[in-house]
Amino acid sequence: MVLQLHVWGPAFALPSIDAQCLATIAYCSLVLPKGSWELIPSSDLSVSPTGELPALQNGTVWVSRFRNIVDYLRQYSEGAWDLDRELDAPERADNLAFASFVESRGQPLIDLSLYVTSQNYYGNTSPAYGAFLQWPNQWILPPKLHSAAKARTEHLGVSSLDLQAMEEQRQREHSAAVAAGQIPKNFIQRPRDTVSSLLGRTAQQNQFRLEALTSEFFEPLEAMLGRKQYLLGADEDSQPRSLDSLLPVAAGCDALKAPRLVTYTERVRRQCFGEPAPSEAGHTFPALPWRSAERISVAAVGTTLLGTLADSTPFLREVRRNNRLKQVAESPDSGLSGTEKKAVSMYADASKRDMYVSIATVVAGAAALVGYMVHVGLLSVQTGAGVEEEEEDNGAVESFDSAFDPGSVGDFLGNTRGLV
Amino acid sequence: MPPKGQPAESSHARSFFTVPAPIKQLFDRFPLVTYPANDLPQRASPRHGNQLFVFTDAPGARRGRPSFNPQCLKWQAYLKFVGIDFEVVSSNNHASPTGALPFLLPGLPTEALLPIPSHKLQKWAIEQVHCEEEQQLNLRFEVYGSLLDHRIRNAWLQMLYLDHENFEAVARPSYVNPATTNSLVRAALGLQLQQAARDELLKTARCIDVADLEGDAGGAFEALSTLLGEDEHFFGRPNPGLFDASVFAYTHLVLDEEMGWKQNRLAQLLREHPNLVQHRDRLLKFF
Repeated sequence: MVLQLHVWGPAFALPSIDAQCLATIAYCSLVLPKGSWELIPSSDLSVSPTGELPALQNGTVWVSRFRNIVDYLRQYSEGAWDLDRELDAPERADNLAFASFVESRGQPLIDLSLYVTSQNYYGNTSPAYGAFLQWPNQWILPPKLHSAAKARTEHLGVSSLDLQAMEEQRQREHSAAVAAGQIPKNFIQRPRDTVSSLLGRTAQQNQFRLEALTSEFFEPLEAMLGRKQYLLGADEDSQPRSLDSLLPVAAGCDALKAPRLVTYTERVRRQCFGEPAPSEAGHTFPALPWRSAERISVAAVGTTLLGTLADSTPFLREVRRNNRLKQVAESPDSGLSGTEKKAVSMYADASKRDMYVSIATVVAGAAALVGYMVHVGLLSVQTGAGVEEEEEDNGAVESFDSAFDPGSVGDFLGNTRGLV
Repeated sequence: MPPKGQPAESSHARSFFTVPAPIKQLFDRFPLVTYPANDLPQRASPRHGNQLFVFTDAPGARRGRPSFNPQCLKWQAYLKFVGIDFEVVSSNNHASPTGALPFLLPGLPTEALLPIPSHKLQKWAIEQVHCEEEQQLNLRFEVYGSLLDHRIRNAWLQMLYLDHENFEAVARPSYVNPATTNSLVRAALGLQLQQAARDELLKTARCIDVADLEGDAGGAFEALSTLLGEDEHFFGRPNPGLFDASVFAYTHLVLDEEMGWKQNRLAQLLREHPNLVQHRDRLLKFF
């Protein structure tokens, strides 16, 4: 069975736009023998049952996320496909700690540079996604990823990189000034922010914060690398990835602060991905076992559209989330003990019940409203028996507002403007 | 009293603007008695030393017991380890100038009553007792710190807030019930807390996979246990420091019998590493 690795598509002269995917590709290219795996730039979250990329497919088994894939490869090959098998205990601990460090500190940096910084997002990231996504995903996914990245980096306090947020804040302040002072709008001086002055200022303000963040991230890695060839003497699994993906976007600070790290990154990149070959469609990586993604089917497009619609509808979103949680808990390979499984399922059931209660409340409320409207005569049902009564109503209401004709719900709704 | 021989209209005008005589007499006597200022309430009274505001209950605050919040406990433990005297005050997020506990009101100098938020506590402590800044001494500090702030914290959030039984048994009595006696507000607060924890976990993953979180935490404990090795304290230091405090904050709360956990998978994972358990027991003697 050939293993199939589904990832985000290539961008920025790298095999994939996503750091986790890059890490997984790098790991697979180091550990898996040639011909035993295929790389599919499917760029579609719906291919994987967990809704996450990277995802490794082996027949009917799906594994997603970098660490799970590493674990799965080790188990599947009974220890043969494992870059870490020769590490001793302290090295193993270091490996784990540095992996967690890269994940927790590197991810926000990537988020900041790729998504939150407005210039980068609109100038590079969004077009890059547009290049490999198919309709309708190219309109749905990038904004989703954008807002997720914003949420992840909120606590860092560098939101002023985000021009959109800046503009919102300015408007808020403006309307607050209007409300507080009761000053006519025309008299409030509009701060004259051109885009360039905005950029200049935010760049200065954020420079220090960003410097601190990047150096916090790179310094330990640089120190750890030292003069060695790899981070841990032996091949180390998780390190190549985030550095690699950071390289095109953070090259500035990277090069200034961590010269050894840059050379290391370049070398590992060559080793994992091979030399990029420029072609008319950007860079390609002939060393990797590409297989083109299947043409997206009409059914898949429909599913994506429906899924997006359902996820943005208040109640359906909860239903879907609970179902996902329950599925995860009850799947046989979740590794949960019996009681835990029961607890998680119970939780899912309970929140489902909560939701049904709230749906019932809303429905009951709506029914009561409609009932009331029927009762007071704002709404009436066209039936044969009710015609006379209705005509009476008509007369009464017409004297109140001649434009109002209580025939049907649509009419009522259409005429509310006239009533008000 | 108007002087004699004034024109008539002036006395007429005065009748509008002067205070009538009886009322003026009455007000001339004011204040009748000046009482001394009230004493401050008993619990607020003598502010001799530094006060650390943390999540804890009243008896815990009196006896200086460990806080039940890992962030608070970390700083409480750190200040104890470096030998700064302080008293614990039970508080909540709304009392804090930054919106998050812990914060510290320094006892000296008394005129500058600026509260110190948690991210400046270490700097303050270094100025007070001239202990060393441990981040500078070992490059692994930040790296292993990310295990605590990321993996163990996520598993902790899951275990405390999203496990239904634990939430009812541990989180609700400690975080929700002291805030109010109104059951409606309690219900709303509880839901808010759970939603906040869920949002936090969903920031990094698309769905919350309990097995994954616990596996991560298990790996993190293993790495920390290897880092500690046979030493008394982390990084082979003679005295416990900030990193020991950070680890202790989680290990103590996970192992503490008084917390009343219903499901405690983290404790099972932690007990596989006896040196971490001993480390916690050693540090508990400071309290």
